[in-house]
Amino acid sequence: MNEFLQQFVIESRELVDAAGGGLLALEQSPRDAERLDEVFRAFHTLKGGAAIVEFAAMEAAMHAAEEVLAEARAGRRPLTPAGIGQCLAHLDRAAGWLDAIERSGELPEVAGGQPVQAPSVPAEHGVPDWVTDLVDRNRVAAARALTAIRFVPGVDCFYQGEDPLQRMISLPGLVALELTPRESWGAPATLDPFRCNLILTALSTAPAADLHGHLQGHSGDCGILPITTRVEDSAGSLPPHVMGVIEAQRAFLGEGSPQSFAGRVGAAGTVAANALRFCGRPESSERIFRATRQSLLALSVQPLRDALAQLLADETPAEAAAAADSVRATESLARTLRIDADQVDAVVRLAGELTVINNAIGHVTRLVRAGDPSAADLLKERQAALEHLVGELRRSALRMRVRPLRSVLQRFPRLVREMSANLRKPVKLVIVGEDTEADKTIVEMLFEPLLHLVRNAIDHGVEDSGERTAAGKLSTATLRIRAERSADRVLIEVSDDGAGIDVARVRNVALQRGLITEEQRLTLTEAEALDLIFAPGFSTSTKVTEISGRGVGMDAVRRAVERVGGHVSIRTVAGSGTAVKLSLPFSVMLSHVMTVEAGGQMFGLPLEAIIETTRVPQAAISKVGAAPVIVLRDRAMPVIDLAKVLGVEPQADVDGATLVVATANGECAAFQVDRIVERLDLILKPLEGLLAGTPGIMGTTLLGDGRVLLVLNIAEMLR
Amino acid sequence: MTVRAAAGGHIELVGACPSADAESLLQLLLADPGMTVDWRDCQTAHTAVVQVLMAVRPRLLGPPADARLKDWVAPAIA
Repeated sequence: MNEFLQQFVIESRELVDAAGGGLLALEQSPRDAERLDEVFRAFHTLKGGAAIVEFAAMEAAMHAAEEVLAEARAGRRPLTPAGIGQCLAHLDRAAGWLDAIERSGELPEVAGGQPVQAPSVPAEHGVPDWVTDLVDRNRVAAARALTAIRFVPGVDCFYQGEDPLQRMISLPGLVALELTPRESWGAPATLDPFRCNLILTALSTAPAADLHGHLQGHSGDCGILPITTRVEDSAGSLPPHVMGVIEAQRAFLGEGSPQSFAGRVGAAGTVAANALRFCGRPESSERIFRATRQSLLALSVQPLRDALAQLLADETPAEAAAAADSVRATESLARTLRIDADQVDAVVRLAGELTVINNAIGHVTRLVRAGDPSAADLLKERQAALEHLVGELRRSALRMRVRPLRSVLQRFPRLVREMSANLRKPVKLVIVGEDTEADKTIVEMLFEPLLHLVRNAIDHGVEDSGERTAAGKLSTATLRIRAERSADRVLIEVSDDGAGIDVARVRNVALQRGLITEEQRLTLTEAEALDLIFAPGFSTSTKVTEISGRGVGMDAVRRAVERVGGHVSIRTVAGSGTAVKLSLPFSVMLSHVMTVEAGGQMFGLPLEAIIETTRVPQAAISKVGAAPVIVLRDRAMPVIDLAKVLGVEPQADVDGATLVVATANGECAAFQVDRIVERLDLILKPLEGLLAGTPGIMGTTLLGDGRVLLVLNIAEMLR
Repeated sequence: MTVRAAAGGHIELVGACPSADAESLLQLLLADPGMTVDWRDCQTAHTAVVQVLMAVRPRLLGPPADARLKDWVAPAIA
């Protein structure tokens, strides 16, 4: 991308954000003239920028929005929610184009200067959002569909004797149909039954050419697009290194003597099947597994070799390209980071000081060689100076990655506005602490879990306005997202003033789903029962809704948060609401760990999870059934022999046991180790490639002597 | 009449409901928002009628007799 265009993208993004925020604020207070001016100026500058880079479509879109705002500014026409919606739609398109520019480095091919809001967007510049959303919501149907249709009938089409719905349900090959209001419905009494307020979207297995005829000659807008990207496929596209592993297994099959046949087939088949399973391809994995069995029975490598070859052939052309594409997209998106010039200067200064230290250490090396007795003291002194500098460099480097949470939180007013309209539950969103900062990694991973929490809150937490009024509450619900920094943690709380969670119902559902036993249902404490909503496979919603029924439960939230070293807690008060609190590390990079030895190997335990370390006589550990248990400070907890669970040879310790008591998600356990070694501050590397997502391990780091230290994830080990 | 108030607080949609039914249906629902709409005997419903069901969201007694209404329209407005 040339520098000019790059600058345009950076500036435009900021303006799009500013305009979006301004528009939402205007919706609350439409008479705020200052705000209106501000938004108008943002659109105007966007338009100017687009004109400079000669991007006619964006110029036209911004112009259209500017017109709406100009009317309001001049007092000719008030700014209505519909007008704001229109401006937001233009902004969305602009944001989409900016994404496209960032990915490709070029201006997208859009029919230049065309008036906007035509839903039949040409597909060349990427897939329009409505297609992506539609496909996303109807994954099973989309797997078969060839065409996506979006039909926005004219508002007075009923008077012309048209029946748009009838047309749509008569389409050949219909596999999915969705109806959404163009504008939110409002109170039933204000409904004009003869004004068509619908957007009809559908998926069909018929090719686009066959559908044109069926939708011709009606009033309104119609977009018929062939679905080019099959979401089902791309979701499972194999990363290149996995392809490499499978390719290697195929090559491995052809080697070796007949004596090693069974071992070779078994090993190759298992490795390939495991690799596939780890990338979320259970079906392919199962296929390879079956082929392995066939090979073993038939005493021939052929079935397995064929299955592997078939798999590679299926994957290579399209999916490898798609995978490469998405990799490029994430890379390019991560490349631009605005950094304060002072911070860069500070790092340059540190680099200079490091050079000085390096020279000084070089000098000491020469002294050592010459056998100078003062060398050791001098080296110690220099090392102290180096340590100080490295610490400062690390802090400066981390400082550069610090971002305000605003970039994530500012997306929510829009989303909440839409969800609230779709579900017809009036919701007011209050965001506090947008300026709270955190490491880039944390800020970037936050969106998904927060989105899920917000969806849950609006869909399941907040009652209908009727119910709210009956309960003596304001009909408009309040949803709060509050962020704050507390020492080296960032706390984010999503709370609603809805109905709260019915804990008794949680108990019943958990029993139905087989997550707990009847006895547990009766004996679990309130907090433990509430915690069940984080269990995998738990979802209290009996119906799948467009808003939150996408198959990801609260367990996904907890997993995402724990992956970066955070934790989730929940509070609920029946009738007054629910609050979910995420506690995240300020920076994922520097972790405090305690190193321990178990079975002769070193492991790291995150210090934040450790409550105490203690040494007890063997007799203090008793057995309940087969499980060893200890009572410490009046609390009974399981004793987990770290060596045993990690599959290394435990060392016999006859005198007693060294225990590290750790806690996660309210559960406590004593880990039995051979020896406690030391405390370390280290930069944790997450597991990558095939090892990514290995349960129980948070990350790795290199120790001073070159050994790899595995840092364990206590929360996952206690599960 | 393809839309009518039946005994027991029900509104029934019967047969092929034309666009004119939208107004009658809306009036019945506005008069008593608690009414259940029984569309089990509905053969076709005009977009305008379906739109009223979407906007007012009465309790629905279904599924409708017609396969297309049952397969496509009922889930879309649920």
